[in-house]
Amino acid sequence: MGAGSIRSLVAGAALLAPLGVGAASAADGEPYKIFLSMSYVGNDWQAEAQNMVSAMARAHPDTVDLQIQVAGPVAQKQIQQINAMVQAGAKAIIVYPISPTALNPAIKNACNKGVVVFAYDSSVTEPCAYNVVTDQVALATQSAEWVAEQMGHKGNLIFMTGVPGTSVDTDRNAAARKVFARYPDIKIVAEPNGMWSQAVARKALTEVLATTNWDSIDGVWGATACVQSWSLQVEAGDKDLVPCGAEGTNGMRVMMLPEGSIEGASGTYAPMGAPGISLESHPGAGAVALKLALDVLAGKTVAKTTLMPLEAVTSSTAKLCKEGTFDELKAGCNTFDPALVPSGWFANIANPDTPEIGFQAALVGQPE
Amino acid sequence: MTATTTTASPDLARSLARNQGLLVAFTTLAAVFVLLQANLADGFSYYDVSSTFASTATLAIAAIGATIVVISRGLDLSVGSVISLTNCLIAVNMDDSPGSMVLWALLGIGAGALVGLFNGIFVALLRLPSIIVTLASMFIVEGITLMILDQPGGMVPAGFSSFFLSDAIANVLPMPAVLVAVVLFGWFALKATPFGTSLYAIGSSEEAALARGVRVDTTRLGAYVIAGALYGVAGMFLTAQTGSGDPTVGPPMLLPVFVAVVLGGTPFTGGRGGCLGAVFGALTLMLIVNLLLVFNVPTFYATVVEGCLLILAVLAGSRQRITEAAAGFRLRLRRRAHSAGPRLRRQYADLPLPRADDTLPASAVRRWMKRNRATLRSSLPAYVSLLVVLVATLTLFEGRLSGASYFNSLFVLTAFLAVLALGQGSVVIGGGLDLSVPAMITFAGVMLGEWTIGGLGGFAPIAVVVVAAAIGALSGFGIGVIGMHPLIMTLAVNGILEGVTLVATGGTPRGAAPGWISWLMTGKIAGLTPVIAILLIFVLAASLLLARTSFARRLYAVGSNPVMAYFSGVSVARTQIAAYALSAACAALVGIMLTGFSGQAFIDMGTPYLLPSIAVVVIGGTAMTGGRGTFLGMFGGALLMTALSMALQGVLVPIAVRNVIFGAVILGAVIGLRET
Repeated sequence: MGAGSIRSLVAGAALLAPLGVGAASAADGEPYKIFLSMSYVGNDWQAEAQNMVSAMARAHPDTVDLQIQVAGPVAQKQIQQINAMVQAGAKAIIVYPISPTALNPAIKNACNKGVVVFAYDSSVTEPCAYNVVTDQVALATQSAEWVAEQMGHKGNLIFMTGVPGTSVDTDRNAAARKVFARYPDIKIVAEPNGMWSQAVARKALTEVLATTNWDSIDGVWGATACVQSWSLQVEAGDKDLVPCGAEGTNGMRVMMLPEGSIEGASGTYAPMGAPGISLESHPGAGAVALKLALDVLAGKTVAKTTLMPLEAVTSSTAKLCKEGTFDELKAGCNTFDPALVPSGWFANIANPDTPEIGFQAALVGQPE
Repeated sequence: MTATTTTASPDLARSLARNQGLLVAFTTLAAVFVLLQANLADGFSYYDVSSTFASTATLAIAAIGATIVVISRGLDLSVGSVISLTNCLIAVNMDDSPGSMVLWALLGIGAGALVGLFNGIFVALLRLPSIIVTLASMFIVEGITLMILDQPGGMVPAGFSSFFLSDAIANVLPMPAVLVAVVLFGWFALKATPFGTSLYAIGSSEEAALARGVRVDTTRLGAYVIAGALYGVAGMFLTAQTGSGDPTVGPPMLLPVFVAVVLGGTPFTGGRGGCLGAVFGALTLMLIVNLLLVFNVPTFYATVVEGCLLILAVLAGSRQRITEAAAGFRLRLRRRAHSAGPRLRRQYADLPLPRADDTLPASAVRRWMKRNRATLRSSLPAYVSLLVVLVATLTLFEGRLSGASYFNSLFVLTAFLAVLALGQGSVVIGGGLDLSVPAMITFAGVMLGEWTIGGLGGFAPIAVVVVAAAIGALSGFGIGVIGMHPLIMTLAVNGILEGVTLVATGGTPRGAAPGWISWLMTGKIAGLTPVIAILLIFVLAASLLLARTSFARRLYAVGSNPVMAYFSGVSVARTQIAAYALSAACAALVGIMLTGFSGQAFIDMGTPYLLPSIAVVVIGGTAMTGGRGTFLGMFGGALLMTALSMALQGVLVPIAVRNVIFGAVILGAVIGLRET
């Protein structure tokens, strides 16, 4: 409880901090006016991404004057927002694009006015923009390959999909299907729609498991599929957990740790040696985008597309962090104590290219 | 103010009174604009005006279409999905030749009109509730759109884009503004025709319109077709603006479109309002984005500020109502001092239930059937459809399905919708709508975790429900006493709650559900999940609450006719406050249940429940116009929705096809609800 109240204090301070960033600017000329345009803030991944961008801005107080805005799920509003940011004198705009295509004219207009535009996580197709993305095809292929191997290349598979109609979902599903199609003995028996939401995934899996049972399932694949699958199995009294890939939540990684390796953990958010591969879009992409934008503004050449590190954590490589500092993360820890973060919190925050970012950056926006 | 009214001609005064909604819409827009202008370093340039019109045109044109349906006293949920349909259709097919551009632009608009025709046939000719018909067509159209384009892509020729985005007159008039003006001109021309008169007539009173010889069916059908075509125009412009197709771009526009309609001064009761206000409303919504940027509103507070602005804008329009409410309150205080009120109320509460009809048949079963004919008529379709879905599921999954586990899951998953149905159902029976359900679910779930570890311990679940009920009562106060529109009030509360939840947690909710709640939702006693026993008790209690209590009698009275209810001595405001408090408490209960079910609260966990909460209520035979509906019917609706979702989740067909099937089954289920 003590740690909790300290955390909320720090979180409170973090809310006030953007004012501080602006004030501490005068040291060496004017800092660059940089805007972050988010499409929405209502989930763990977005909250962490925002924290990491804030942390990156705080780590460079002399060069960055960051202002964060959220547009909501309507593309038109993000277009309006980007236009307004350009008018407000932005030097760079970092954008989490609600659509890879719909923002193109607004982005092109910004570029024409000399604004540096970076899209993160989801790419935009406008050629003048820089993209910082995770290779979704590689992510899906690697995780599907691992699950297929754990299944011994045969058996029944539950294939969970995400938000239909998005490029990320379409790319991932196509790549994973290609892998599973190579093994004729693997049969996809259900395709629940998890919408990349733990709560929806739980409901969808419950629905699927009402018309089939765990004894006949040999593997599960899909984002937000693993924690809920294993929890359902445990609740159904099935101790023989199925191999699963791929999500990036701390819940999944904790469950992958050897049984009994964390004291005081209870319920299903506890180590149980579950067989899994943890891979997910990197929530630090926005922070990298900000750092690269500073490089571009400083006159350096930056590649148009930057791929985020894709570090797979499997049951044999899952390792608990003590503090979660950058150095510790670099040395290979990748899982956090259940007492510190909730199960749905994304643990895939390590990135060797951003020494500014550690556990505290993702949690409360505090740079190393 | 008084001076102007007295000196102005009576014609002007009447015209002002009639266009009060429009005036408020314009004043709101002007206020936002002035506020922006005063705080922008360089002021609003032509570039800003031009880009704002480009961003707003889609929303504005769609809102014009939605307004036409609202004037006819309908509600069209298909608007967002049609925008995407047209968008993808054009982006996939249009090529460089001028002929192709014209052809596909027209085909895109035609596709919208076709969806409108589909809606119109079911609503106008088959007399099904518009909200459920358009909900079904929304799913079907979303499915078809995904079949046309399964991910963002496609491209339209540059010439097509530049035509719609250029300046009509260089540095004076942007083309998007011209397009909106043309659509508005079309609306004013339409309004002046006999069709326009009929449209307002059927919206005010269908019976009166029919008696005056208005062709109600064709007018209503026309309204949906025109609206559909306008969504098509909106989608076509969006395609030109974005230069590409994206199947996910339209659906999120649903709520903003309705907010633009209401901000534009068109009430959902039909027969009043107009399309010019909707354009003002759309512009206001879009300029709020600039306002948030200028004032550097932190991300977590964005929805809070938006919510408060909505309330302020609508409050400005109900100044008169506030004066009335204050006067009524003073009167009540004085009455209370003379202690006449309570006695009168007590007399009312003691009124006996309506006496049994003496002409009832002798046989007990037939007597029961005759007495409950209305209930049966409205709830039977849901149960018949449920039976069909169950039989289909059992045949489809024969061999791999175990009955006990299937029905266990069915009832556990139904529990969420059943609890939501009581709250949303009560509000709908009372003539309202509660859009704050999603944020309330999340708020409750998140706060359960926070307060359990924050010192409240075992009392946290009770505290959550009580706080939620208090917030709901506040919405009810705004709606019942101040006269705010339910849609705006609850949407604003939804936004404020979203922000509060984010701020309270820093975006990362802590804590888990107390162990006993998780056990209730996921544990097993003899193969059954404990919550099922509670569900049975809940269904019984909820049925009694909505059938046998004085709360129910007041609720149905208020929903049928608030004026009559008022003169019958029912406190309309108090009844509405109770209904919204109940709805909020039910949503909070679902939040607690969901947290127990998923093991943890998630900041987006309430979002998927808005439309289902309304759908189960309507499928269960509750009239959106208020005053009719039973809990048993709604429970049937909840079972049907859950069983359908379970069946579709288990079959191996693409999401697009699942959407189409889902929409079709919902439509089939409500055909039995035909009003005769």
